[in-house]
Amino acid sequence: MRVRTKILVIEDDTSILELICMNLEAAGYETVAIRDGLEAAEYLQECRENVVALALVDVMLPGKDGFALMEDFQKAKIPVIYLTAKDDVISKVHGLKSGAEDYIVKPFEVLELLVRIEKVLKRTGRSRQKIQIRDVVINLKEHSVTKAGKKVALKPLEYELLVTLASSKNVAFSREELLNQIWGCEYMGETRTVDVHIGQLRKKLEFHDVIRTISKTGYRLEDSL
Amino acid sequence: MKLWKKLSLVAVLVMLGGMAVSGLAVLNHEKQYNQEKTLESYGQQLKFTAYSLGKELESGLRAGYNQVTMNSYVDFVMRRFEGYQYILIKDGQVISNRTPYELVKPEDERWGGKEPYSVIFKRDNQYFLIMGQGISVGGSSEYKLVLIQDISQLYGDIRQQAIYSLVIYLCAAVVSVVLIFLIIRRILTPLKELQSASLDISGGNLKRRAIVHTKDEIGSVATAFNAMADQIENQVTELEQESERRRQLLGSLTHEMKTPMTSIIGYSDTLLHVNLNEEQMQRALYHIKEECSRLERLGSKLMSLMGLYDNDSICLEEVSIQEIFEKTARLEALPLSQKGIRLEYQCTMGKRRVDRDLFESLLVNLIDNSARASKEGDIIYLAGEKNRILVKDQGCGIPKEEIERVTEAFYMVDKARSRKEGGCGLGLALCARIAALHGARLMIESKLGEGTQISVVFEE
Repeated sequence: MRVRTKILVIEDDTSILELICMNLEAAGYETVAIRDGLEAAEYLQECRENVVALALVDVMLPGKDGFALMEDFQKAKIPVIYLTAKDDVISKVHGLKSGAEDYIVKPFEVLELLVRIEKVLKRTGRSRQKIQIRDVVINLKEHSVTKAGKKVALKPLEYELLVTLASSKNVAFSREELLNQIWGCEYMGETRTVDVHIGQLRKKLEFHDVIRTISKTGYRLEDSL
Repeated sequence: MKLWKKLSLVAVLVMLGGMAVSGLAVLNHEKQYNQEKTLESYGQQLKFTAYSLGKELESGLRAGYNQVTMNSYVDFVMRRFEGYQYILIKDGQVISNRTPYELVKPEDERWGGKEPYSVIFKRDNQYFLIMGQGISVGGSSEYKLVLIQDISQLYGDIRQQAIYSLVIYLCAAVVSVVLIFLIIRRILTPLKELQSASLDISGGNLKRRAIVHTKDEIGSVATAFNAMADQIENQVTELEQESERRRQLLGSLTHEMKTPMTSIIGYSDTLLHVNLNEEQMQRALYHIKEECSRLERLGSKLMSLMGLYDNDSICLEEVSIQEIFEKTARLEALPLSQKGIRLEYQCTMGKRRVDRDLFESLLVNLIDNSARASKEGDIIYLAGEKNRILVKDQGCGIPKEEIERVTEAFYMVDKARSRKEGGCGLGLALCARIAALHGARLMIESKLGEGTQISVVFEE
């Protein structure tokens, strides 16, 4: 059985709550949805350590607001990303100073949210150890990839590309975004470079129908939801 | 030129002029009076002398003295009269002159009148009085007596007095000029206070008032000025509050729009980029549609609220409240029956001057609010009595500390619940505004768990 990373989502607006959960689940996370500040505090009291990897928290919540919940999160040792419509500097500074890992202002883009979550997880040492897509297992600790138990030799850039796509699976990346993520924003290379590497990955992992080309957008690594 | 300088100058000029004229008049009068007195006294003296001399001469004539004896007699008599000032003339010839002067024209007939005739003439800064009278000696009037007197003393006195007056005049003028300047300045100081108050107010200090306690015209100007400042301060405060309310409204609006926008953008983004299964796609589309209609509701409510703020031209007419109740009940019948809520109404109120459409929308909003708070099987009462209309429900009620705030735009007691029921936090704000336009106010009484009663109370 695969153990998926559990993310706590606290948001009072039903539709936004569902939106976040839908995307996180598509990207391979497990979610716990809570709509109320007091309910969240209760959940944190009972939750065991290391069960929840991260919390996405709205600031304006009924019962107990997001800033007030910070203490509970710190007790439970859960890193927090605030997700809020409050885009004034004071709120941002307050949020980050109080100990949040990141502060995302609504409206946000799905990809941005996922990338930031990934960054926070990496920073706090809570990244997934392994990512499994069909018969391919990516061992993030050992930087190795196996297909059906056999080791596949990937060049460093190919490996980075695979990890990026697999970390936010089912989400499409544009070629520019991939270039930025892997080659760094200073790299002035052509987007064709990405296509070449994608071709290599498809060939080596037999991922022709897994890494899909999305017209006008880029590439997406698809896996069962 | 400053007003106080002008006023002082005018006052000083008028005062100096008046003093000069009156001083001159007094001096002139004094001079005339003294002259008359002098003339009168010399006249008396002359008359007396002339009479006595006439008697002496008559007795001399009666004694029958010859010419030479007569002349020495006359001389003797003149000496007896101590007549140092007299000249005696007989037939145009000076026969005795005890004065140090020469009479130029002794034959002049003017000195021969029955009454003294006087002339004053001036030579080398000296004034002389010449006065003459005929002496009747035994019926004939060949003798004339002329008095010559140096009266420079009199004019000297008058000049002395004039100089003295002038000195007093100048001293008084200096003192009064200074006094006038000081007094007028003092009278006009409140104007300075008024000016500095105006400057302060135009500089932005609206709390400033002119402190003037005088009861004169400046005092009343200051009172009027302060009343004006009060009015301006009130209006500015009102405007500031109004703009603050609008700013807050705009702030809440932005926030209120951000939530559906986040959903719409997020779901579309997800649909575009994320690999979703069929059910998830349906959910995403459903949410997009829901959020769009939420925005649309927000828009239309906001439009009506803004309309009520910007355009105060409401159309008041005599409308039967009973009729409005019936229409509202018809409008609400379907949505309420779907929720299993019953509406009961009763009206003992007559006609009232209201805007029919706005009032309907007021009632519909209140009933919608009650319906949102109610559960299935509850009853909503709508009643009109005396000067108030009330909507009463058996719903969940409003927490005591939130009652004050529920009429604020975008304020929701229970956001999640309100959203679910399609509320956007503007209903009561709208109701309060409509009530205010009708000169009424909203009175909210509520008990948690027992229900809420909202009354529209018309101020009589």
